Amino acid sequence: MKPTTKTTPAYWNPIVETMPLERVRDLQVKKFKRILKWAYERSKFHRKLYQEAGIKPGDIRSYGDVAKVPKVEKAMMRDIQRKDPFPYGDALCVPLEEVTEFRQTSGTTGTPVYQPDTWQDWEWWAESWAYLLYAQGYRNTDRVFLPFGYNIFVAFWAGHYAAEKIGCEVVPGGVLDTEARILKMQELRATAMMATPTYVLGMADTARKKLGIDPARDLWVRKITCAGEPGASIPSTKKRIEEAWGAKVYDHIGATEIGAWGFECTAQPGGLHVNEALFLVQLEDLETGEIIEGPGRKGKVVITALDRIAQPCIRFDSKDVAEWAEEPCSCGRTFRIIKGGVVGRSDDITKIKGVLVAPSAIEEVVRSIKGLGNEFEIVVTKKGDLDDITLKVEILPDEEKNRETILLHLKDQLRLKTNLGYNIEVHPYSSLPRYEVKAKRFKDLRKTG
Amino acid sequence: MGGLRRREMMTLREIKKLDTRIKAIRKASQELKELARGIPAVGCNADRILASVKMLEINITDVLPHLK
Repeated sequence: MKPTTKTTPAYWNPIVETMPLERVRDLQVKKFKRILKWAYERSKFHRKLYQEAGIKPGDIRSYGDVAKVPKVEKAMMRDIQRKDPFPYGDALCVPLEEVTEFRQTSGTTGTPVYQPDTWQDWEWWAESWAYLLYAQGYRNTDRVFLPFGYNIFVAFWAGHYAAEKIGCEVVPGGVLDTEARILKMQELRATAMMATPTYVLGMADTARKKLGIDPARDLWVRKITCAGEPGASIPSTKKRIEEAWGAKVYDHIGATEIGAWGFECTAQPGGLHVNEALFLVQLEDLETGEIIEGPGRKGKVVITALDRIAQPCIRFDSKDVAEWAEEPCSCGRTFRIIKGGVVGRSDDITKIKGVLVAPSAIEEVVRSIKGLGNEFEIVVTKKGDLDDITLKVEILPDEEKNRETILLHLKDQLRLKTNLGYNIEVHPYSSLPRYEVKAKRFKDLRKTG
Repeated sequence: MGGLRRREMMTLREIKKLDTRIKAIRKASQELKELARGIPAVGCNADRILASVKMLEINITDVLPHLK
């Protein structure tokens, strides 16, 4: 670790992070009206959308009016892009010459969506990440390693700039392979890193098996920020990573079209704070669309980025599903908490044999079973009129002798936690696909055959 | 501002002072940009300052009217 300077404040912006929620709400409504007017006046796409719904910016006077504004979905953005102003189409709210950054979505759910940002937007990206990294204990004493490909996906780009903004020393692990990254982290005594949970687990595996390095014992990393997949909010996955690295693991939630809208703090309250300073996040009932304000019901996450200007994100249907936590966080932030992080995506949560299932629930079971490897795959098919679900797993080589016990335990836990029976397939260790970003472990083949 | 330790608290008056300085930086940066015609080295750096000023406004200026 770099030398400690002095005790640092607890919050990136103590004024807004501890403000009573009702005042935060007033601030959000003011900013919502501002970004709505901005988009209405500058983007044909937004103006048409709102005119068709009979909405003018002046119609929004209170928090209750926000839900009257039509939602935007990713598919709508796909339709307008690759047209003038090329390549973004008419959701662009600034002259093309003011766009300084290009990124695109990963394409996991379809054709990638382009994301233009101005320099101000890019500062805003770093600002949103600065809130989250500061809440996770990043300080100017940290040397942060980014084992990330630095490409057209936004991923950890903003984390890099936010860490710089906080004053950390940033080491870009760009084109190095996994072994070289681990050795560089060891050589430089990196204290923190950011990566997907899948990659972090894979790195630990490579360190032990190929380099004889035990990350918890031989490396200096004591905090890890995960993104890209829900793993770091799944207790059994978080536990595996924390044990492998001897580090605290923190989750964050965001998207290219939205920004980094939620984060776990050092208190690890069993959920993610919404960044209420920069985003207005609402949960909508999955069936009725009613806004959910309290705990106890899961809803679809609809988000407005309150200060993003080049291609505004107003009432974006993220397809994420979440639930509000009951208790405030002991960290003192008034920002609301998404209980257990995002529990799934509305297009992933599906009925199998009549039971509503989120793939994250299956991950929680697999990763909680001692003796199973980190990788797994879920395949849902139809056999006649009946759904059929297969779970592919690997058993750790050292645990083969316990195979029968492990599989019995797995079946019991799956039945208990998901109310479903599975065909379990054990595959040779290291044979299931390994992912660096955006793992695709859930395959629903019922429609595609 | 519940949750803050006393020594971290800032008075409303101090926050207003911050806001006054932020407004002054915005004005100065905009003037710099206008004066910089023909000197990209000044105009483009003024643009970058203005982007950072916007972050100060998000953190302080926008929030100020919502404090007691």
